[in-house]
Amino acid sequence: MSSDGEDYYYEDDYDEGSMDQDSPVSEGMSEPDIVYDVMSPTADEPAPKKPYDVSYKVRTLQEIINMQSKEVRKIQTLLEMPASTATILLRHYQWNSEKLQEQFWNDPAAALLSAGLSPPVSPSTRTGPLPPSPSLLISPRRPTRSSHNPALSPVKRSRAPQPSGPFECPVCCMEFAKEDVVKETFALGCRHRFCRGCWAEYLTGKIRSEGESSRIQCMESGCERIVREEIIDELVPAGVSKRYHNLLNMAFVADAPNLRWCPHPDCEYIIECTQAPPRMLNQLVPTVECNCGRQLCFGCGYLSSHRPVLCKIVRLWERKCADDSETANWLQANTKECSKCQSTIEKNGGCNHMTCKKCKYEFCWVCMGPWSEHGTSWYQCNRFDEKSGVNARDAQAKSRASLERYLHYFNRWANHEHSAKLDAEFYKNTEKKMEQMQNSGNLSWIEVQFAKQAVETVIKARITLKWSYCMAFYLKRNNMTELFEDNQRDLERAVENLGFALEQNIEPDSIAQLRQDITNQTAYVQKRHEILMDDTLKGYLERRWDFSVDI
Amino acid sequence: MSDARLRRVQKEIRDCAKDKTSQISLEMIDENPFHLIGAFPGPPDTPYEGGYYEVDIVVPDAYPFQPVKMKFITKVYHPNISSASGAICLDILKDAWSPVLTLKSTLISLQSLLCDPVPNDPQDAEVAKHFLTDRQSFNATAKHWAQAYAQAPARKQAQVSGKVATDAEMAGLSEESVKGFTEMGFPREKVIQVLKRLNYRGNVVNTMPMDTVMEALLS
Ligand SMILES: [Zn+2]
Ligand SMILES: [Zn+2]
Ligand SMILES: [Zn+2]
Ligand SMILES: [Zn+2]
Ligand SMILES: [Zn+2]
Repeated sequence: MSSDGEDYYYEDDYDEGSMDQDSPVSEGMSEPDIVYDVMSPTADEPAPKKPYDVSYKVRTLQEIINMQSKEVRKIQTLLEMPASTATILLRHYQWNSEKLQEQFWNDPAAALLSAGLSPPVSPSTRTGPLPPSPSLLISPRRPTRSSHNPALSPVKRSRAPQPSGPFECPVCCMEFAKEDVVKETFALGCRHRFCRGCWAEYLTGKIRSEGESSRIQCMESGCERIVREEIIDELVPAGVSKRYHNLLNMAFVADAPNLRWCPHPDCEYIIECTQAPPRMLNQLVPTVECNCGRQLCFGCGYLSSHRPVLCKIVRLWERKCADDSETANWLQANTKECSKCQSTIEKNGGCNHMTCKKCKYEFCWVCMGPWSEHGTSWYQCNRFDEKSGVNARDAQAKSRASLERYLHYFNRWANHEHSAKLDAEFYKNTEKKMEQMQNSGNLSWIEVQFAKQAVETVIKARITLKWSYCMAFYLKRNNMTELFEDNQRDLERAVENLGFALEQNIEPDSIAQLRQDITNQTAYVQKRHEILMDDTLKGYLERRWDFSVDI
Repeated sequence: MSDARLRRVQKEIRDCAKDKTSQISLEMIDENPFHLIGAFPGPPDTPYEGGYYEVDIVVPDAYPFQPVKMKFITKVYHPNISSASGAICLDILKDAWSPVLTLKSTLISLQSLLCDPVPNDPQDAEVAKHFLTDRQSFNATAKHWAQAYAQAPARKQAQVSGKVATDAEMAGLSEESVKGFTEMGFPREKVIQVLKRLNYRGNVVNTMPMDTVMEALLS
């Protein structure tokens, strides 16, 4: 268990002024094997893999298209069929090629039929090709198909199998002269013929308005014949065709358990990860970082990291917060009264260490208690005092205690989210100031990077802290949770201290001192952050956590 | 393609007028080919027999690629038709629509829907419950509705309580059940509304706790 006496506690560790201002701070730390190179722009390089991290790759759309082609070629070869047939089968079986092969070898005709394809015309070619391509279908053929597969044509009236005279499109009632039929009309293998204009309009509606792709069927009522990719490309305008292929790719990614689109707006990358199937999500929080530079959860598609909380608990929490939002709204208010002089205090940075401008009273924004108490070992800002709940006798007091318990955690959860936003805004102003100093003074680019690193560190840590309160809400209390809360408190205190330091005015003559201070504190926050992550995420693998809900 | 829509609907109206065997009628409202009234007789051997059913038809802009919009103008007591609005729950009016389906073929489908209700996919949950609980009572109510709203001729066996069906009969409730509660002082209208909602018919009358009914009546 950590306490204030521990040797990596930075206040004991760094000594202002004694360090070489240009060197990184690592020599001051108690663990020499960890180098806190926060100054270097390369500090973001991936750390060695932890047992709770997942391996993943960030894919481009082209790579996703290639993956599909590869699967198609595999099935094409194995089952000796044209690529278009293999594609339709794979899409029908949601790209599960094992299931497809099993069902195909078991009953080829049934597999083809269920995918919206008629089985081979000739009974001798077991894996023969599809009925010929559309252009061939226009030439006269024996009307045999419907006798093979009555299931394919539950249609009341049967249309002329081939155009022997003029043709009236049954959808638009336009008549086509005999010599125009080949050029102006079209029928799939089921030989339900319509004019090309109607086909184009029908397919465009399916693609544009209904977002359909791999399951678009023949226009005839009850006919389940699938319209193939090449045919759609031929019949619809280029823009619609492009949309259609997008939808096909989206369906491929949606069907593949090891793929997920990056959920961030305007990002076209796809994450591939085989180590986080749904059944693993009760012990793994698969946070990944996309090539667009943003984080997401591979498990549930959440738009940022929600470590250390399991996906399922995030869902429960979000539902609870939505249900209880009205009760909790007041907590997010941006102004509070100083508990000493009652003047209104507005929060502008993300730091929770507040100083009343009027009376100089220092207090904690979250619990409104004096800040001085937050520096001692009995700091209790992160821990809900369960005793009041346990002692409550009547139902009303119990339900109030339960609401208070929720509000305790929600307040801290919401506050870190809010603070992270404020920190980001605050940094923009600082950045401008630093640029000015860089332009006017002797400071180099590298020397002004410390604030950027520090803000990024604070924001990341706040996101983890935020979720740690959601985790604490669902954790059953035992000695494991005490350790968890100690780690949470230590990280929180480190973050608040760094946040406070960042909000100090930056002046050219004090910048060297400030840089040293902030650099050291940044390193410490990173270390505390890692300790909390390590403890909680390894705790899942070791089955150390006990939740009040079923995971 | 709006030319195509007009050409197609006009042809459908012509074809329907020519066809004397199907008994389906199709008429424009104010000469507007995209807003019509369709009508057909209730199918024989159903409680709807003898009734005449009118349907409001709106042909959407994207017709025939989008399904036609239909709802009953005539009030119908049927699990898949809203007893209040006439809205219809039928697959071909939604995702099973095909551009080759016509106004006439859709009206024929509505006619067969009257023969074969699908209570598991109801439009009107109260009516569907009635249908599943007590078929005989359901048929009687549907027949009362056909007589009251669809001009079906009243038959002898339906005239137990005079020429016009009572409000209890129209709601598919037994007079005995309704009386039981009006005698306690609850207004008749409220009693009928509550018992209808609770599906107070058939075996439910014997199994439902009195408290449940009282609670609903008092709320
Ligand atoms: Zn056409
Ligand atoms: Zn077809
Ligand atoms: Zn991305
Ligand atoms: Zn997740
Ligand atoms: Zn004050």
